[in-house]
Amino acid sequence: MKTIVTPILMIGALVLSQTTIAKTYNGGADMSKLLPISTLLNNAQKYTTEPVTIKGTVTRVCQKRGCWMQLASDKKFQTLRVKVRDGDMVFPMTAQGKTAFATGTLKIHPLTLEQTNQRRKAQKLEPVDTAQVLHLFAPVAVTIKD
Amino acid sequence: MSWFKLNRSLHRDIGYFCIGMTLVFAISGIALNHIHQFNSNYQVTRTSHTITLSGLDIETDHFEATLLATLQLEDKVKARFWQDQTTYKLFLEEDTTLYLYPEQNEVLVEQVEPRFLLRQLNFLHLNEARAAWMWFSDFYAILLIYLAVSALFMVKGKRGVLGPRGLLVLAGFAAPAAFIIFYSH
Repeated sequence: MKTIVTPILMIGALVLSQTTIAKTYNGGADMSKLLPISTLLNNAQKYTTEPVTIKGTVTRVCQKRGCWMQLASDKKFQTLRVKVRDGDMVFPMTAQGKTAFATGTLKIHPLTLEQTNQRRKAQKLEPVDTAQVLHLFAPVAVTIKD
Repeated sequence: MSWFKLNRSLHRDIGYFCIGMTLVFAISGIALNHIHQFNSNYQVTRTSHTITLSGLDIETDHFEATLLATLQLEDKVKARFWQDQTTYKLFLEEDTTLYLYPEQNEVLVEQVEPRFLLRQLNFLHLNEARAAWMWFSDFYAILLIYLAVSALFMVKGKRGVLGPRGLLVLAGFAAPAAFIIFYSH
């Protein structure tokens, strides 16, 4: 009897632990530093060193490793990707549609023209003649709310 | 009790204790190794529907209610977002996302469900629980080191590692060494 009960209890505990998966990372975002994403992107260089907290609806999440999530900006059609090193934080796919707060700094990655148009093609957008700049937000702490 | 018998007893009991953790790391290890071929965290199902969207004001509560009724979804919209000029997203409460393509009169229903058990195993393997799990994992790793070393002293004489079976130990070292030599440049 014991040989059956023990594995059942172990599996049960693991399944129940699903409900306890943390929605805050590294203590949660610092809500005193809130800044709209559009403002952050308008002054991108400034916020590469000055930590701020951004807020937005989670519109996409890395399906495989949960290493990034995309937040909707306060400005229409604008988004910002929150990116961590694999394993530093794991964003659940079920966070889509929830509101996320992330505290950290902005990283600026200039793209080549080829990279720019590859990304635009993936987004079903028309090609352009000038290379664009990729903005990634590197968080130190995150909170995801329902 | 002699040290030989003590070693065998400890090896047996610690081995029993490590079964659960070993299964957690072994199963999730395979799952994570093949995450690009098989998403072991989530089951994602997508179904496409042809629904007239062009010419409609899709940014209204009335439209959303009608759409959910048409799709026979008993759920609520918790957020909405224009992904780009051609794609409007509706996020539902129950881990469902609707992709609306007004130009194509198409609605894609994407449902995300964490996989039974594998999601939890991966959660542990990737240390999403952070500090407490890290210390427990360290403890488990120390026990594994003990199991490996104590295994050398399980059988005395030439029937143990001093005999032909010692080649198995060498093979166990040779395999990772070969990978380092061939792939680390």
